[in-house]
Amino acid sequence: MKLKFTVNRRATTLEVTGAERVIDLLRERLGLVGTKEGCGKGECGACTVLLDGSPVCSCLLLSSQVAGREITTIEGLSEGESLHPVQAAFAETGAVQCGFCTPGLVLSSAALLADIPAPSREQMKRALAGNLCRCTGYQKIFEAVELASRNMRREKRRRR
Amino acid sequence: MIDVTTYIRPGSLEEALDVLASGEFTPLAGGTDLIPHARGRGPRKMLDLSGLSLDRVTRTASSIEVGACATHSELCRDAVVTKALPLLSKAAALVGTKQVRNRGTLGGNVVNASPCADTVPALLNHDAVAVLVSKDARRKVPVEAFITGPYATCIGPNELLTSIVCEPLEKPTFVSFLKLGRRQAVNISRMSLAVCLMMDGKGSIKGARVSAGAVFPVARRMREVERLLAGESPSKRLFAEAGALAAQLMVKESGVRWSTPYKRPVLAALLERALAEAASGNFGEQ
Repeated sequence: MKLKFTVNRRATTLEVTGAERVIDLLRERLGLVGTKEGCGKGECGACTVLLDGSPVCSCLLLSSQVAGREITTIEGLSEGESLHPVQAAFAETGAVQCGFCTPGLVLSSAALLADIPAPSREQMKRALAGNLCRCTGYQKIFEAVELASRNMRREKRRRR
Repeated sequence: MIDVTTYIRPGSLEEALDVLASGEFTPLAGGTDLIPHARGRGPRKMLDLSGLSLDRVTRTASSIEVGACATHSELCRDAVVTKALPLLSKAAALVGTKQVRNRGTLGGNVVNASPCADTVPALLNHDAVAVLVSKDARRKVPVEAFITGPYATCIGPNELLTSIVCEPLEKPTFVSFLKLGRRQAVNISRMSLAVCLMMDGKGSIKGARVSAGAVFPVARRMREVERLLAGESPSKRLFAEAGALAAQLMVKESGVRWSTPYKRPVLAALLERALAEAASGNFGEQ
């Protein structure tokens, strides 16, 4: 079948069987290797992408299920050379160690802040519970989300 | 990679039922259970339901019909569900992770029939009925009878679960839903309890519904406990008796297992707490 969907704001058409996992399409066919495969069972969240803005595991998603829909990967979050505020905050607070979980965590955090601009720690923990990090102990990740939240709200006020 | 040999995504229910009539296809909804399973010796022929618009919530005069493909996230935010079926909404909010709630569906949770499925005790308290459709027939089966054992249901290979019909509770009813796990999130239930207390005008319990998940081989209503509560006034002593009875029932039915020394007192305490929470009206009156 011909699969038409949007990847990182770009209309994309691919010839597929329908049963490929989306993570394989992204990595093998589109070269978007920022999306990582960890457990392959929907538990670790390393493969998180945004499907119409909501975080989902791309290892549990089959290609035909994204027909007509919009996917955002870590490569599509920044605008050109300038980082998304969440990416900048992760770098600034040192919320990255080995980096394997980072694309998923950044996308889940960005989706959280789009939904709740100033989340509480509890809301953060709940929103990021599906993204496992075995290096950082999460402290710096929460600090990054808080920093991004402050910066994004300041930017929004400035633009008004 | 997964090993799926044949994959069909029909655009209409008729087409889907035609495909299912062969009895060879496994319906795929959110994939949160099925796709990990497909990596092993799971199904090879899949029927993708994502083109069928089975995710709607419809309110009729006497009931609420939830489409089988409504995701847990949709159950958390749908205005009709949160208001009229608060137990279901709360149960859905406690499922897995954000990523899993965004994809996993109510129908999938029920058909997968895990003994610890979070939505099932909530559905039992709402007298939920599964609507099963095949090419030539349509039948309705109460969820309690639909799930026949751990990971087993009475669905035929040519049937599709299209929706689940729930009865809103008469007013005033006080409810609570408690889930016990090893941690706060990303939790497989070690036990879950759904409680409804229907009150009369004088502060007594007119009737009760109490369902338990991960306590018995199959989630079920504890009618013995419900009978104990009916007609009584809420009290700490009554709730403690109800908890003790539930623990007795569990040991009688599930036998003594490695976890029993832990689960017996914990179930008693958890039910006592759920009843007290419902009676206090903290979760919300319906």
